[in-house]
Amino acid sequence: MGFFLRRLSFYFIALLFAATLNFIIPRAMPGDPVTMMFANATFEVTPERIAAMKELLGFVDGPLYEQFFIYIKSVLTWDLGISVQFFPLSVNTVLGNAVGWSLFLAGTAVLFSFTLGSILGIFAAWRRGSKFDTIVSPGMLVIQAVPQVVTAMLLLFIFSITLRWFPTSYAYTAGVTPDWTSWTFLKDVAYHAALPLLGASIVQIGGFLIAMRNNMINLLGEDYITMAKGKGLSENRIVFNYAARNAMLPSVTALSMSLGMAIGGQMIIEIIFNYPGLGTVLLNAINARDYQVLQGQLLVMTLFMLFFNLLADMLYVLLDPRLRKGA
Amino acid sequence: MKGILNILKNNNKALFGSVILFMFIFVAVFAPLLTDHVPNKRTGNPHEYPSPIVKIAQASPDGWVAQNLADDKRTLLMSKKAEHVMGTSRMGRDIWAQLAYGARVSLGVGFGAGIVVCFLATVIGISAGYFGGRVDDILSAAMNVMLVIPQYPLLFVLAAFIGEAGPLTIALIIGFTSWAWGARVIRAQTMSISEKEFVKAAEVLGESRIRIIFVEILPNLISIVGASFIGSVMYAIMMEATISFLGLGDPGTISWGIMLYNVQTSSSMLIGAWWELLAPCMALITLSIGLAMLNFAVDEIANPQLRSNPGMKRFEKMQRADKKARAAHVKAEPPHFVGEKDLASGAK
Repeated sequence: MGFFLRRLSFYFIALLFAATLNFIIPRAMPGDPVTMMFANATFEVTPERIAAMKELLGFVDGPLYEQFFIYIKSVLTWDLGISVQFFPLSVNTVLGNAVGWSLFLAGTAVLFSFTLGSILGIFAAWRRGSKFDTIVSPGMLVIQAVPQVVTAMLLLFIFSITLRWFPTSYAYTAGVTPDWTSWTFLKDVAYHAALPLLGASIVQIGGFLIAMRNNMINLLGEDYITMAKGKGLSENRIVFNYAARNAMLPSVTALSMSLGMAIGGQMIIEIIFNYPGLGTVLLNAINARDYQVLQGQLLVMTLFMLFFNLLADMLYVLLDPRLRKGA
Repeated sequence: MKGILNILKNNNKALFGSVILFMFIFVAVFAPLLTDHVPNKRTGNPHEYPSPIVKIAQASPDGWVAQNLADDKRTLLMSKKAEHVMGTSRMGRDIWAQLAYGARVSLGVGFGAGIVVCFLATVIGISAGYFGGRVDDILSAAMNVMLVIPQYPLLFVLAAFIGEAGPLTIALIIGFTSWAWGARVIRAQTMSISEKEFVKAAEVLGESRIRIIFVEILPNLISIVGASFIGSVMYAIMMEATISFLGLGDPGTISWGIMLYNVQTSSSMLIGAWWELLAPCMALITLSIGLAMLNFAVDEIANPQLRSNPGMKRFEKMQRADKKARAAHVKAEPPHFVGEKDLASGAK
C-alpha cells in the first residue's frame, strides 16, 4: 500500500506542477492575456465581464501568492473557466464533447499497434537475424521517425483526396444523428476513423515491436526455454506460452503509459483529418486565442497521462508476482 | 578524423545518414547560390507546375504525365515559362527556394534545440547520478514531473502565449521542455559508471570532483550523449514542423512547417497542387530517415551487441578477403605445367 501512496502523492505533485505552469506562463508573458483573449471575442465585452474573467483566471488584485491559491483552488475544484470562443459554454463542456472521440481514437490506435507490434516483435525475436528481422525491425523505427504531420497529410492527400477511398473529415457523415445502437452508424464511424487510426497507429508500431523483440531475445536465453525445448514441446507452444507470455509484461505497462501519451501525440492527426477530438478543439482555440481552453487542455492531458501512469503501476503489481510480495 | 572516415567506410547506416545530413546542410548553406528566386516574394503565377513536368507535358500532350500530373489545362498554360523547378505556391512563391531556405530554419531549430537538450540532459543527469543524495532526489523528482507532463500540449500552450514564435524561441522552448528523458538515461549510466574501479581509484587518489566528472565519467557517456543528441535533433525538427503547421510560428519566416501550414490554409491539397505538399513532406521524410540511420549507427558503434551478427559478418568478410587474396595469388603464379611443356617442347 505504501508504494501506491508514494505514487499517488507524486502524481498529485505533478498535477500541481502542471497547474503552476499554467499559472506562471500567462503572467510571465508580456502584455495582458485577458485583454488579448477578448480581442477576438464573439460577444460584447463589458468591463464587468473582463473583471469577471480576470477573477476566474485568478488575475485578482492582490499579492501573487494569493492569486496562486485562488487559481489552484479553481483547478482542484475543476472549475476551468469559460471559453471565449463558444462564450456561454464552460471549458469543461467544450473539452468534454471532444474527450470521448479522442479516447476512442487513441484507445483503438494503441490497441491496434500494440497487437500488431507485439506479434511482429515475437516473430522478429524468434527468427533473429533473419531477413524479416533485419528489414522489418529497423524499418518500423524509421517510419516512426517521420513526423506525424507528414504521414497524416500524405495519407489524407493520397487516400482521401486523390483516390477518394475515405472521407476527408469528421467522425461520421454530417447530418446523421448519432445512434450508437444502429449498425449502419457504427459502420459509418469506423469508415471515418479508418485513416486517422492508420495515421495514429503507424508511428507507434515500431516502439512496441522493438520492446517486444528485445524482451523476447533476453528471455530466449533463459534456462526454462532450453528446458521447454528439451522436453520437445512444439515451437508454437514455446514461443507463445513460455517466452511471449513473460516478455509481454513490460509491454503491457508500456501499453497503458502510451495511452496517456497518445492522446497528446495524436492531436495533430485529429487536426489534419478534422476529427472532432481534443486536437481540433486545440486548433480552434489557437485560432480564436481562446487561452482558457488551451490551458484546460494542458490540465486534462496531464490528468490523462497521470491516470494511465497510475494504471500502469497497478498493472505491474497485478501482473508481476515478484512485485506483489514487496508491496 | 581518420577514425570517423573509417567508421563511415565500415558502417553503411552511418554513411547513408551522414550523406543525407550533409546534403541538407549543403543546400541550407548555399541556398542563395542554388536558387534563382527569392523565397518570400511573389515570383510567378499562383500554382505553377514544376518545370520538368511542364516540359514533358508540352512535349507530349497525350502522355501519362500530361494526363495525370499536369491535368489542369489552365494551370499548365499559366506555367508555360517553366522557370520554377518545383513549381510555385498559391502565393506564386518558388517552392524550391522556400525548401532550400527553409532547410536553414529546420536544421537550425533542430540543432539548436538538440544542443540545448543535450547540454541540460548531460548536466542534470551527471549531477544527479554522481552527487546522489539530496541533489539526486530533487533532480530526479524534476525529471519525473517533466516526463509525466504531456509534451505536445505544453509546447502548444507556451508557443501560443509567446505568440508568433520565431525559430530561436521555438528552439529554446523545445530545448527547455524535452531534456527529461535524456537526463534519466544519463543519470542511470553515470550511477553505474561511478561504481567502477577506475572512478573509485580516482576518488582515492584525491582528484577533484570536477576532474572526475569531465575526465573519468564524461568520456564514457559520449555514446549515450551522442544518441540523445541525434534523437533530440530529430524530435526538434519534428516539433518545429508541428508548431509552425499549427500556425503558432512566425508566418514571416520560411520553414518546412510554415510551408505545410500554407498548404493547409490555402487548401492546395484540394486544388490538387501536389508539388506544394510533396516538397516539404519529402524533405522532412528524407531528413528524418537520414537522422534515424545515424542514430542506429551511433547505437551500433556504442553497443556492439546490437550489431546484427557481428562475428559472422567479420568472418564472412575475412573469408571473402581470403578468397580474393588466394585468387590473386593463383593468378600471379605462372602455370605449373608451362615449364614442363616448354621443357618438353624444348626437348623436341
